[in-house]
Parts: sequence; structure tokens; C-alpha cells
Amino acid sequence: MRSLLTAAVICVLPVFYPVQAQQLQSVNDVTGARSWSRTHAGVYFSLTQILPEQGDAFYVNRGFSLEQIRPFTTSCVYMTVLRNDSAPGIVHFVRGNWSISVDGEPREFKTVDQWVKKLTAAEAGKPALIAFRWAQFPPEQEYEPGGDWNQGMLSVGLPAGQVFDITARWDLRGQSFEATLTGVECAK
Amino acid sequence: MQSKSPARALQILLLCFLWASALQAQDLPPLTHKLTPIRTPSVAPDLIFHNMDEEKVDLKDYRGKVVVVNFWATWCPPCRREMGSMERLYQATRDSNVEILAVNIGEDLDTVFSFLGTVEPSPTFPLLFDTDAVSMKQWKVKGLPTTYIVDSEGRLAYRAIGGREFDHPAIRKAITALGQ
Repeated sequence: MRSLLTAAVICVLPVFYPVQAQQLQSVNDVTGARSWSRTHAGVYFSLTQILPEQGDAFYVNRGFSLEQIRPFTTSCVYMTVLRNDSAPGIVHFVRGNWSISVDGEPREFKTVDQWVKKLTAAEAGKPALIAFRWAQFPPEQEYEPGGDWNQGMLSVGLPAGQVFDITARWDLRGQSFEATLTGVECAK
Repeated sequence: MQSKSPARALQILLLCFLWASALQAQDLPPLTHKLTPIRTPSVAPDLIFHNMDEEKVDLKDYRGKVVVVNFWATWCPPCRREMGSMERLYQATRDSNVEILAVNIGEDLDTVFSFLGTVEPSPTFPLLFDTDAVSMKQWKVKGLPTTYIVDSEGRLAYRAIGGREFDHPAIRKAITALGQ
């Protein structure tokens, strides 16, 4: 009877508290863009490739020239989603605490402010810069449980085809959490 | 655009369309339907911008009504997706002392006007223009879309970060209850 109860608890526990659920991958049938996602401790985290041509199209329509925006759109950019589905409290993150690594070696990636400075120096127009700034994944945010979320662009600054791991970190009631997506690939 | 080749421009437009279509079909996270009550309601920051008729609109003039203040842009996928549900909410709550002010960030009238034709149902509530994105700091908006519900006494009552289905019964109930 005791072993039956233990087995039942082991089976049911992940349903209520998915400690580190399986990483999922998918490919968009139309664009060929690949996505990686994972849910950890009630927080959903995903990256979807934004192909350089897609980024060009988006930003040229916002007022950038190709010459201005190409350094960004070719820097391995992802549509990033973080969502507090069912964490037991407010999720707070600072994007500066996230990390990427290639073959276990840490790599730096530019902040939103650094990109805005670079594009300002390239004499991009004000409406284009406003669109750029607010299309990026937020540098810091707080999500209430039950569905607060953001979707925004994230540049990891790696070359086409590079495979890497990325770890998102957040805190909740003073406790630190992290979710890692492994084997993420920059669009070729 | 410094690259003036018509073929290149056409290619970019086509890619943009294909990308938008693809995003509609796949990769889209679900819109959620929960508003977060603000634990210590404070008076809403100032909000004074021009509308599509270039008339000045001041949030303070809506005192006595519940106001949904939505910050958005046409290039923001979840903003686009939630816009139709906001219009349905508007139509359903017009007699319940509820108003909607959607503040566009950084775009011009022509861009927004072109976008309106793509939304079903097309918004009939006031659209305001914050061309310099000055409201983002005042309203502590860190990402688009962000929505606040302001109660009839001008205090922040609810907040929603990220896209919502605004005509969901749970949201409609919370908003109409504020107006009673």
C-alpha cells in the first residue's frame, strides 16, 4: 500500500510542479524558422528564429535602411517569449542576468541600450529608433501569475549556424530560478 | 531606404507579408485573460495626446468613467491580435460607463489608419498618438502591449502585461464591476 502511494505521488507531482519539463522544438512550415521552448516552475520560455530577411523586412518598414539595420538582423536574432503561467507569485527578471554559452564557454551579448546607441550613431531616424527599442525583449520586467508575458526580439550576437545554450534567470519571493534551452541554432 | 531597387523593395514587402502570415498561423503564444489587481491603487499618471482627428484628449476628462488605457503599436504582434477583442469589449460595455483609450507609440496617423482596415472588427474607440514614446516612462511600461484599467475616480485598478482577449468573460466582468 505504501509503495503504491509513493508511486502515485511520484506520478502526480510533475503535473502540479513541473520541475524542468522537456525541451520542445518545432519548425515553421512556411518560413522554416525553428523554435525552442521549455516550461519550468510555471514559467514558459521560448526562442523562435527571426531570419535575417524577416528582420530586414520588419525594420525597413519601420524606417531603417538596410545598411543601418543589417548588423542587427544578421546578429542571430530570436523572437523571445517569457510568460508567467502558473508560478506561485511575481516573476522578476533582469535580462543582464541571462547567459549564453558555446561549447560550455560563456559569450557576451549586447544589451538593448548598446544596440540603440549603435543605431543612433548610424543616424537612424527617431520613429525607427522608437520602434526598434520597443520591439526588443524588455531588459527588465515583472510578471504576475496567470498570464503576464512579453514577446520581443533578442540578439545573441553569434554567427549564422552557431549552436549555443541560453539560460533565462528570474527570481520569485527571493528565490532564484533558471531555465536553459540547449542546442539552439542561429539561422543560416 | 537607401537600397532603391524596386525588385528588392517588392521582395521585402512580400517577405513581410509571408512573415506576418506565418506568424498568424504558427508560433503565436496564446492571448491570456487575467487582469492583475493593483494592490495599492494610486492616481493614474497624466495622459494627454491628440486623437486621429488631431483633437487633444485628456484622461482627466474621463473622470467618472472606467477607462481602459492600452499602449500599443502596429508592428507589435500581440497588440495587433488583441485589438479586435478590445473593440468587442468596447461595443459590449458602451452602456456600462466604460471607455477605451489606445495610445499608439511612435507611429504616425497614416500608418495607424492603414492598419485599422486590417482589424476585424475595426476599432471605433479613441486612438491617441504618443509619437515620442514619453508615456512609457510615466506609466512604467516596459513592453508592449501593456494595459491599465483606471477606475471612475482616476486610480489605477488593474494591469495587464502582454496580449489579452479583452472580450473574455473574466475581463469583461472585472471591468464592468468597476463601473457599477
